[in-house]
Amino acid sequence: MTAAIDDDLWSAIGDPTRRRVLDLLLAGGPGTATALSDELPVTRQAVAKHLGVLDRVGLVHATPAGRETHYRIDEAQFARAVAQLNAVGSTWDARLRRIKQIAEAIKNASEEKN
Amino acid sequence: MEYASIEREIHIDAPPSVVFDVVSSPEHVREWWSVDTDFEPAPGSTGELVWADGDDPRAHVEQLTVVAAEPPRLFSFRWTNPAGESAQEGNSNLVTFELVPSGEGTLLRFRETGFRERGWEAAVLEQRYLDHGIGWDRFVPRIQAYAEELAAAA
Repeated sequence: MTAAIDDDLWSAIGDPTRRRVLDLLLAGGPGTATALSDELPVTRQAVAKHLGVLDRVGLVHATPAGRETHYRIDEAQFARAVAQLNAVGSTWDARLRRIKQIAEAIKNASEEKN
Repeated sequence: MEYASIEREIHIDAPPSVVFDVVSSPEHVREWWSVDTDFEPAPGSTGELVWADGDDPRAHVEQLTVVAAEPPRLFSFRWTNPAGESAQEGNSNLVTFELVPSGEGTLLRFRETGFRERGWEAAVLEQRYLDHGIGWDRFVPRIQAYAEELAAAA
């Protein structure tokens, strides 16, 4: 059931710019807000704000490097986000099995009556 | 892997009329979804899905709106839209049960869509993730467990 899904994590990856930021970090390794903004149609300040959201839910880690901050993906938390999407699918498998059991039990019961 | 939708097909050894009743009537939905709910299985009808947790009888609540109820071949509903908003594309997921007669039983085609429309496009992320060769140690055991679960269900 979806209650198990972490709302903050979902809303963090629910934003297209943040997903693009994650994409760039996955593809290019750790980066700064300045470097990321060069590849995105948004300002450095906007990128920094998005990185802040990703940092709060643990999807990226910030490391100070001189006057800039380097951000890198947290692999464990990223895997968790993906696993939660998977969980949505596997819970439906369990529900569908129940639907099958119930329908077949009803059919068998009605056959016994006849 | 594609996460824009979840799609499953299972064969049920019961006629479509029975399966339709199981997927659409609150009495059965309460059973297979382990949820407290009540709604009319008719287009436009709304209801809540309510899960209790310990002392909290409404620990988790989701909205549900019936989209189509065409016995015995189609039942669909939207769910997970925010309370107070009417369910539509972009704020909710669409769940569809399509029932196809198959021998003496039913082929149940299940589909849930809406993840992508709501921005839940982790498909792209995971592709990147896997492309870059990281995470296999985490994913492989999980994929195997998942595959075995599917095989056991088949």
